[in-house]
Amino acid sequence: MQASAQFDTHYRSIYVKRLSIIIGLCIALVLSLMLDLTAGPAQLGLAEIIQGIIDPQSLSLRHQIILWDVRLPDALIALAVGAALGLAGIETQTILNNPLASPFTLGVSALATLGASLAIVVAPVIPFLPNNAVLPAMALLFALLGGGLILAFTKFSGGARESVVLFGIALVFLANALTAALQYVASAEAVQAIVFWTIGNLTKVGWNELFIVSFVFVCVLPFSLRHVWLMTLIRGGEAQAKSLGLNVSRLRALVIFRVSILAAFAVCFVGAIGFVGLVGPHIARMLLGEDHRLLVPGSILCGALILSLASFLSKALLPGVIIPVGILTSVIGVPIFLFLIAKQRKVS
Amino acid sequence: MSVFTVSDIRVSYGKKQVLNGVTLPVLNCGEMLGLLGPNAAGKSTLMRALSGEQAYQGQVVLHQALKSTYKHKDWHNRVAYMPQTPPQESSLMPYELMWSAARALSLDYSDQALNCLIKDIFERLGLAEFATTCLHSLSGGKRQLVGLALAIIRDPELLLLDEPTSALDLHWRMVVLDYVRERLNKTGGAAIAALHDLDLAARYCDKLVLLNGGEIVASGTPFEVLTRDNIAHVYQVDVSVMDSQEGYPLIHIHRPIAQT
Repeated sequence: MQASAQFDTHYRSIYVKRLSIIIGLCIALVLSLMLDLTAGPAQLGLAEIIQGIIDPQSLSLRHQIILWDVRLPDALIALAVGAALGLAGIETQTILNNPLASPFTLGVSALATLGASLAIVVAPVIPFLPNNAVLPAMALLFALLGGGLILAFTKFSGGARESVVLFGIALVFLANALTAALQYVASAEAVQAIVFWTIGNLTKVGWNELFIVSFVFVCVLPFSLRHVWLMTLIRGGEAQAKSLGLNVSRLRALVIFRVSILAAFAVCFVGAIGFVGLVGPHIARMLLGEDHRLLVPGSILCGALILSLASFLSKALLPGVIIPVGILTSVIGVPIFLFLIAKQRKVS
Repeated sequence: MSVFTVSDIRVSYGKKQVLNGVTLPVLNCGEMLGLLGPNAAGKSTLMRALSGEQAYQGQVVLHQALKSTYKHKDWHNRVAYMPQTPPQESSLMPYELMWSAARALSLDYSDQALNCLIKDIFERLGLAEFATTCLHSLSGGKRQLVGLALAIIRDPELLLLDEPTSALDLHWRMVVLDYVRERLNKTGGAAIAALHDLDLAARYCDKLVLLNGGEIVASGTPFEVLTRDNIAHVYQVDVSVMDSQEGYPLIHIHRPIAQT
């Protein structure tokens, strides 16, 4: 038989290559986590850190606190938030058939910012809620509200993807305008706090926040994995998927629902960290192709890896200074993103 | 035995009536019906109504049972629709697309059987060497063939093909329609194809229907439908119709008729 008939064996070799890229990403993620754990003003070597994780008593009390209360939660939240944004990003891009879409296009983060600004400026007292939880709670509430609005609009408009994107963009403008109005009347300190939140910062979270974000991620992931074949099929075009009898509008509403929850929890504690949900899926797609069995895990790994590296750099670039991680993800993310776009244009 | 009957189909978009009581000739095992007509005649709308994508009024009967008595999934397993739009350009590979379709629809094939089926379809449609080429690197014609492969993967009893050959060159047009006819003979299924090419329609279809403005102008055998008057009336083109001596009419196009 001629060589062309052996495409299934050829595909299998492509698949094995892609699997090894996934393994490579896992290794890179572990390395990046180690780097991130060792970065910081206190001189804590890798050996000490590993020892301290296995047996906390072996470290001095000061080092125990630094490792368990600062380094580990910071490093792990980078993974959790990055993974959540990577997953939310790939699902949004596929279901909206738009490589420029991300959970942020849907207005989730703009509304989270509005909620956070409201919490900072008005500083409401909410019963049964400690004061330091008011801000993330408001951010979460508003982000979920944004998700709800998008979802309602998706149902209302019959689920056409262009109108969903347009509605998301309109929502972003509205939320930005309202945030600006709040800033206009706010005190200088409040404006500074809002700006700081908007930039995105990993260093203010503890174990509770880490558990919440991880828990939501773990709850959403099985639903995403259950849909990997469907999502791959959608990449062949909506007309084809519909002709095969699939209810694409219903699937779109489902995906937007879970993506909004995921993104809302991802940003509510750490602020509007840009570009991870956009660039992570792009890098994964270039490395792994469109088969969502690999693309979904790959996008999660890429998201986590980008944020973890950004977290490391935020501590390592300027000794003694922690640059907010949101600045780094954008400063590093934008050139990577432009490079990818240029490269992709060349290919096609 | 009649496989498929369609009677008095009406579809409207808002106030606009797109199909106005369309009744197709009865389709028997192994038969192919050609749907002809100018742009906006209602061919695609009829296809979408039959596939289940478009709401309609009227009767659609498959194997003596009304369409409404079939479960959604069961209907789609029996009736496959190939839309006019081919698979979109993306970095997805045709081979991946076929696998994802079969698995997303939970078709009852083992991995090995599915692989064999995909290989067989791809080899017949000349897609074997493009199976692992990204869709955005394929020509429109190849993507159209992938679309046909996608419709065939569930081994349907009725194939609805919306302009299956519009992007193909002469060779592949005939290969595709030969392949469809061969499948019909083998499986005893039936097919309805919307076509723009009158010669192909005359050559490959057992029955033809000429649609215009949502209504049937003529239906019957190719010789009955493809008359000089019918074509002049519907397409505003002056033709002469000859007998190919091989059982189907040949159409020689002279000029468009000036519209009054």
